[in-house]
This record gives sequence, structure tokens and C-alpha cells, in this order.
Amino acid sequence: MKKIEFHIGKIPSNYVYGFMIGIATLILIFRLFYLQVLHQSEYRLQSDQNRIREITLKPLRGLIFDRNGKTIVDNNLAFSLYAFPYYLQRNPQLYERLSQFVNETPQTLQKTVKKSPGGYFQPVRLARAVDFTIVSHVEEERLELPGVGFWIEPIRAYLSSASAAHMLGYLGEASPQELEKELPDGYQAGDIVGKKGLEKYYEKALHGTAGVRYVEVDVMGREVRTLENPPEKPPVPGDDLYLDLDLDLQVLAEQLMSDCRGSVIMMDLRDGGILAMVSKPDYPPQLFSGVIPAKVWSELQNDPNDPLYDRTIQSVFPPGSTFKLVLALAALSTHTIDPNWSISCPGYYRYGSRVFKCWKAKGHGRVNLYQAIQQSCNVYFYQLGLKVGIDNWSKYAKLLNFGQKTGIDLPQENSGTVPDRKMLDRLYGKEKWTQALMLNLAVGQGELVVTPLQMLQLAEIIAQKGRFYQPHLLDHTHNPLTGETTYVKVDSSFIDAIPEFAFDRVREGMRMVVQSGTGRAATVPNVEVAGKTGTAQNPHGKDHAWFVGFAPFDKPQVAIVVLVENGGGGGGVAAPKAGTLLKLYFSKNAANGTSNLLAQKLN
Amino acid sequence: MRISDIHSRHSIGLPNFLMVTAVLLLICIGLAAIYSATTGQQGVVVSKTFQHQLYWFLLGIVLFLLSFSFPMQFYQAFAYLFYASILLCLIAVLFIGKAGGGAVRWLSIFGFRFQPSEWTKLAVIFAIARYIADNPDKIQRKRHLLVIAGLGALPMLLIFKQPDLGTSLVFLAIVPSMMYWAGVSPLILFLAVIPALTMIASFQLWSFFLVMGILIVILIYKKIKPLFIYLHVGFNIIVGIFTPYFWNSLHEYQQNRILSFLGLVHDPKGISYQVIQSKVAIGSGGFGGKGFLAGTQTQLRFLPEQHTDFIFTVIGEELGFVGSVIVLLLFTWLLIRSLQIALSVRNRFASLVAIGITTMFLYHYFVNLGMVMGIMPVTGLPLPFISYGGSFLNASMVSVALLLNFSYRRQEF
Repeated sequence: MKKIEFHIGKIPSNYVYGFMIGIATLILIFRLFYLQVLHQSEYRLQSDQNRIREITLKPLRGLIFDRNGKTIVDNNLAFSLYAFPYYLQRNPQLYERLSQFVNETPQTLQKTVKKSPGGYFQPVRLARAVDFTIVSHVEEERLELPGVGFWIEPIRAYLSSASAAHMLGYLGEASPQELEKELPDGYQAGDIVGKKGLEKYYEKALHGTAGVRYVEVDVMGREVRTLENPPEKPPVPGDDLYLDLDLDLQVLAEQLMSDCRGSVIMMDLRDGGILAMVSKPDYPPQLFSGVIPAKVWSELQNDPNDPLYDRTIQSVFPPGSTFKLVLALAALSTHTIDPNWSISCPGYYRYGSRVFKCWKAKGHGRVNLYQAIQQSCNVYFYQLGLKVGIDNWSKYAKLLNFGQKTGIDLPQENSGTVPDRKMLDRLYGKEKWTQALMLNLAVGQGELVVTPLQMLQLAEIIAQKGRFYQPHLLDHTHNPLTGETTYVKVDSSFIDAIPEFAFDRVREGMRMVVQSGTGRAATVPNVEVAGKTGTAQNPHGKDHAWFVGFAPFDKPQVAIVVLVENGGGGGGVAAPKAGTLLKLYFSKNAANGTSNLLAQKLN
Repeated sequence: MRISDIHSRHSIGLPNFLMVTAVLLLICIGLAAIYSATTGQQGVVVSKTFQHQLYWFLLGIVLFLLSFSFPMQFYQAFAYLFYASILLCLIAVLFIGKAGGGAVRWLSIFGFRFQPSEWTKLAVIFAIARYIADNPDKIQRKRHLLVIAGLGALPMLLIFKQPDLGTSLVFLAIVPSMMYWAGVSPLILFLAVIPALTMIASFQLWSFFLVMGILIVILIYKKIKPLFIYLHVGFNIIVGIFTPYFWNSLHEYQQNRILSFLGLVHDPKGISYQVIQSKVAIGSGGFGGKGFLAGTQTQLRFLPEQHTDFIFTVIGEELGFVGSVIVLLLFTWLLIRSLQIALSVRNRFASLVAIGITTMFLYHYFVNLGMVMGIMPVTGLPLPFISYGGSFLNASMVSVALLLNFSYRRQEF
């Protein structure tokens, strides 16, 4: 073999090429060393994040049952439409097509997608509770709609014949404010949360705990497989709520109130559980099971009857004559009078230059405390009010929990107003108001306003002579997965500032109201009912009709309040409804004995 | 000289045997990488891509043996014809070509889809080698230099038009390299290339001054006449000043159009995405790699077109630093061996062809791997023997066959 020679033109050095080859390889090896050895852990981390995605497993929301285990709120299968932003970005004409499916403008959809916090490959929900015909349409056009699909997202189903709309409340997408301030950690944008009523109050329990699944995704964000490590954390479904509510009573109460505005609440006195709670007018809760159309929503909001308002706890009313009970208790407790103190009612009372009328123009003649309660004599209580005075009156009203929230397990409770000297000074100027104001307050008019629930609590307190439970809807929660059952701890209180004899006298008066007074319409055969009617004047229209009461007289089991706004007289309008409900309650209880729930608890 | 004598006196030789072994190893690694990138772990059916590459490889073996058996003179004789027919093919591509990946690069002949641009490199090498061999002594003359530059520029522009920036730039390496090998003064080559360098460097002040500085130092060092220095530097400064000015005066959509024409923004997700994913894939491979078919980035298809230009990411991720360095060393061995052949053959044509091939491989090797590792711009260029693509695989195998051919028969010239 000949020695390597080179002889073309000038001889270039072979070192130039050899050097270049060597340098190229060295640079590449150094670079590889830098990437694969020096920075390996950094890139390994990146590669893991690149491909592992957390998929939140939404828990199933808890259901709501009545005290007998009848389903009130269930979950229904429903589909949500979603799309990957990546595909929408690449095919903007998809917005146009999708907008036809979901009744939104393409611009709105675009905004929704822009606002979504996830990345290109995090699906964005475009519509909830999509009609099934639309689901099948989209499935047919699958090929022209890349990156569009459905997932199952249950909606609420209302199975009972009761509405209970305000009490149950409804769901909606969590707002940014709620996510930031109200909701605990673990909630994400787009989560469906309780907005009103029990759904809101017991959001945490109902919601359950989200699970997480770790999946490996490809570059398109498509799931390739589920990782076993880290292992899947399955979601824990929300707790089911078992209410003290009795669906039969609830349905009847709603029927009784169907033509009027007003509210009815019934309570089991033995534990403060609410048996029925109605606010009318209301709305079919089904409207809110999925997504409420904007038009329906604005109609509800602009309805002059305020169907969205829960009148049992959110609205305040003058209590009228029912509040005479408070004045009577104050008078007896402060020993201002004894029950035999009597006055003569000519049908009016002259105070200074003003004349205050009794509801009975002829007058009641001579009446003592019992008769005054029984006949609801205004003149008696005008004079009693003057004797007791504003300070004691407001003191006892507050002792009986007026002017403060009862603490029922519902959001947005109103505390009402009990006027006192300070407040009247503020309103009218110091010492610029007269005792004439006290005359109004004595018969439950004037600046005094209460919620129907507060009146129910008054009936509860009187029925049990000072002992009362915090009113509550929930009896216990039960988790369908863990089987864990948690009973609600009910606070019971005792008002010791009011002596027993005061309660006895007032109860006696209330018994007479139903036996032979203004509340005769509330009578129940074989059960002694006690109560008090009220006819509250209001400047905006017809009087409000009130009835508060309890039964049986000796061993009270149940308290009730009925308010019919602009209904007229309490005895004629409210008392009969109370009677009807009490009849059902006692006929049921005669058949069943005590309720199952209570029996369980007593054991 | 009788044929039997030749055979008795020449053997393939151990170095050449090792070169062929290296090439076969690279092809096998490439096939494995393509299998991993396209069929993958769960693959039940072997991907079409892998099957195609296998067929191309088998065809390549036939072409390899054929190219090895023709004498060198055959290539010299047909160099211009080959060049002309390839040029025709490139023109045909512009009119009746098949599109793929945003560019029109393929011709379909008898159902075969082949990519003339990959064969153009060899055709240009042949043509220039032939031209230089035909004009042995006066190669420094301006006329000859212009003809050689033209032989390279014509196909380069046609490929650039497809558009295929990566492949067209190869000629900027091959042509000056062959001229240098033929004895053309490096200074002339340098002065010819410098305005292009100035254009690129002019977007950064420091790089612009660096290029100007190097230019002035070299001109003074080479004792060029001051007038020429002024003229040349002045010209470069004007180019340097006006390039960014001209660029900035364009509307954004015009800039984008030019960039996309250059093939720089053809990927909707952006080039940076590819480079990041590429670095993540290689870097996460670590020292020992994640194992064959176990690279998560590869198996989950995080890199678009991973089986073509970014094939090395599969090796980097699944075989790690160790496997990657082995691939680099195989290439290095091939390059050294082909340089040795270019040096050892005494025929001017054969030596020039060999150095052209060496330059082509070196360019592909460094630019492709540099791009994949994030130290070179993404221009779109396959890795020889490893990237998917039949035409380039075959052209590369034929190139190796030619080297072997020349080395084997070097005594005959």
C-alpha cells in the first residue's frame, strides 16, 4: 500500500477538516453532558410535569331527605358541554357552530374560554345540563367538532310534590368572590355550589371531597393511561341531609298557602326541629335544577310578589296582636299587674288629644288579662303598655329573642327590630317622642317588626314555659360511602328572667283564645290547642293575618305560626289554616305514635 | 492490468470494514428510534413509518452494492447528466410536486415518493468535482469560480423555493469546502461569504462589530491593498446598517411571511416549543436513559415530527448520555474515515467527491444535533442514517458506497 499522498493544486492541510470534526464532536458531547448529566434532574422534573396531569374527580353531591326518609332532592344524570381551548383557537369557526347549540353568542363563548384559568388542554365547560337532543347532534357532528365533548355532571332533581323552594335553595357556579372568601380550600373555578337555602348553608357537608386521579397525557392533552403511582384518591360523596321536615305536612301547608302571600312554619317542640316551612309565593325549584334561563331569572327578580324572597326568615312584618303576649309576659314578670287587674273597654282609648281604637268598636266591656288575651282587647293592652313602659317592654321583648336571629340553619336570616328608648331617641330626637308610641308598640304595631320564625319561637318559649331549642331544619347527616352519621347538636336555652306563673297565666289566655276566643278556627278535635291571633295593620294594604300557637296544651308537641299577608283578620284567615295543619299532625301522630326519628334519638 | 490483479492486490481493509459497520449500526439505531417514536410501547401493529423506512433500507442496500460496483470513471462521465436530470426534477417539483409538512418537496415516480433535494447534494458534488477536475490549473480564475458558485447556487435556490431552508443551506458548506479543497484561496472564499455573515450578525451590535473586527484583522493580516480594504469593509458596513433597517421597515405580517417562507415559523406552536420539548426529552434521559421504548416524552408524542428531524431526542431520552455519545462516536468515526479517503485517493475527481461527501455529513451531523440540543437555530435538516426519510437514507448509503468504492479502487486511478 502506498503512503497517503496528496497532490491536487495547493495542498490544504488535512488538519482543518480533522480539527472541525473533532471540535464538532466535542461541542456536542459537552452539550449532551450539560443537558443529561449536569441538568438531568431539572429536565426530569419538567418531563414529569409535562406529562402528568391531575384530574379532579368531582364528588357526588349529597341528597336531601325528610324525617321519614322520603327523598326531597335527588341527583339526575345530565351532560355538560365542554371544549378544549386549543382546538377553539385553531378553528375559531367552532364558536359559531357551538353557539347554535347552547343559545349563547359566539362572543360570550369566547369570553368564557378566555376566562378559564387552565391551559390549552384543560377543557372548559361551555354549558351545563345540555338538552339530550343537543348531545346527539354534537355526537353526529363529532368529526367537524374536534376537541368538543360531554361529561356527566349531575343536576338536582326534585322528586317530592312539595316545593320547599326557599328552604332548599339552589345551586350555581361558584363566583370568584365566593371562591376567595366564603368557600374553603379545595374548591375550583367552575365548581357548582349552593347559592341559597340549605344548599348554601350545608354546602360543605353536601359537596363532599373531591378526589384526584393522575393521568399521563400526550401532547394533545389526551389521556393515555391512568398512573398507578401516585395512586388515585377517589372522591368522597357529600353527606345526605336528613331533615326534621315532614313532607306530608309540608305539602299540605303549601296547598293551604297556594293562593296567598305569606308563610307557615311548624316546629316539633321536643327538639326544635322544623316540621314544615312554607313561604309563598315561591317558584318551582325545578327551574334551578340545571341552568336557569336569563329570561326566567329576570322575570322572577322583577316579580312584584318577590317569589325569590324567603318570607319565613328574610322578611319582617308588624306582629300585631300576637305581640300582646310579650307585653303580658313583661307585665306579669315585673309584677306590674296581677291577672285579675281589669279595665273597662269602651271600644277606644283616649290618650292626650288622640283616640286609639279597639278592633271591636262596641268595646269589650270589663276585661281582665285572660279575657283581654282571649278577645284580643286593644284598650286593655294600651293601658297595660303605659303601665309597663317602653324600657321593660323592650327588655322582655329582647329576652324573648326578638331583635336577634334565631340561628336557624339557613343563610340570610333577618333579625327584625325591637324599638327601645335609645332607638326612639335616635329616630325622633331625645325626649321628642311621647308615650303614644308605646300604645302602638303594645299592640304590635309601629317600629316593631319581626320575622314569622321569631313568632314561632315565641310560641315555643311560651309552650314550654321558658325552655326552647334553637330552630333547625337538619336532623342528621349520613354519608352514603363512609356510613358516618352525625346528629345535629341542638342548643337548648332557658329564660329564667320570666317566672313560671307568668307563662302559666299567658298560656291560660292562649288556651281560651282557641277554646272560645278569636282563634276558635284553630280547634282540633280531642286536642287542646292554645294560640293567639293577630291582625296587623300595614300602611300598604289590607291587614296581615297572624296566628301563633301550640298544642297539646298540657304536653306541647308542636308549635305553629301562620302569616297571611294582606289576608285580613287573623282569626278568620290564619287560624283555620293552623287548625287544618294541626289536625293532620295529630291524626298522623295518633297513627304512628311518636315519629321514628324521635324514637331513635330517645333511645 | 487485469481485473484479477486488482482483486488480488486490494482488499476492503479493516478501516473500511469498520466504517461500514458504523454505518450499519447507525441505521439500526435509527430504525429502533423510529420504531420507538412511531410504534411505541403499546404498539400492536408496527407503524407504517417504520415499515417504510425498512423498505427504504433494503432498497438502499441494492443501491449501495450498485454504486460500489461502478468504476469511478463512470461517475465522472455521467456527472453533468446526473446534475442536469436532478435539476429537472427540482423544477418538476415546483410544478407537480407533492406537498408534505407545509412544503412541496416530493416527486412521485411509479408510486415511489422521492425527494430530489436529497439527491441534489450528491449531484452538485459530482458536477463541481467534474468541473474542477476538467480545469485543473486555472481554478482560481474568476470565470471558473463563478461557474462553480453557479453550479451550487442554482439548485440551492430551487430548494430554497420549496421551501426547504435547511437543505438549501447545506450547499453553503459543500461548495466553499470543495473549492477550498481544490486550492481556491481561503481569503477569496472568506470575502465571498462575509456579507451574508454580516447580514445575520447585524441584528446585534456586538456580533456586528465582532464580524467587522475579524474582517478587518484578516484583511490587514493578509496585506490586502488599503483601497480594497476600505471598499470591502465599507460595503459590509452598508449591508450591516441597512439589513435591520430594511427588516424593521417591514410590516409584521411581511416579516412573518418571510420567516414562514424560510420555513422558520411553519409550526403553529412555535419553534421554541419544539426546542424546549427537545431539550426536556434529551435532558430527562440522564446518564443511562429511560430505557428503550420507555421514554415518556417520546412515547407520549410530545415532539411533533419526532421521527424525522428530531429523531435524536428518542436516543437521548431512551438511551441517555451513554447511548448518545456512542452515536456521536460512530458519526465521528465515519467522518474521520471519509476524510482519510478524501486524502488518500489521488484522483482529483474522486478526492473532491469524497471531501464533498465528508462536508455534507459533517454539516448534517453538527447542524442537526446542534439544533436538537438547542445550540443551533431550527432550520429543518435530517440526521444522516437515523432520521426517517427514504431519499436521504438512500443518498447517504450511496455516498458511503462511493467512499468505499474510491478507497477500494484508489490504486486504479
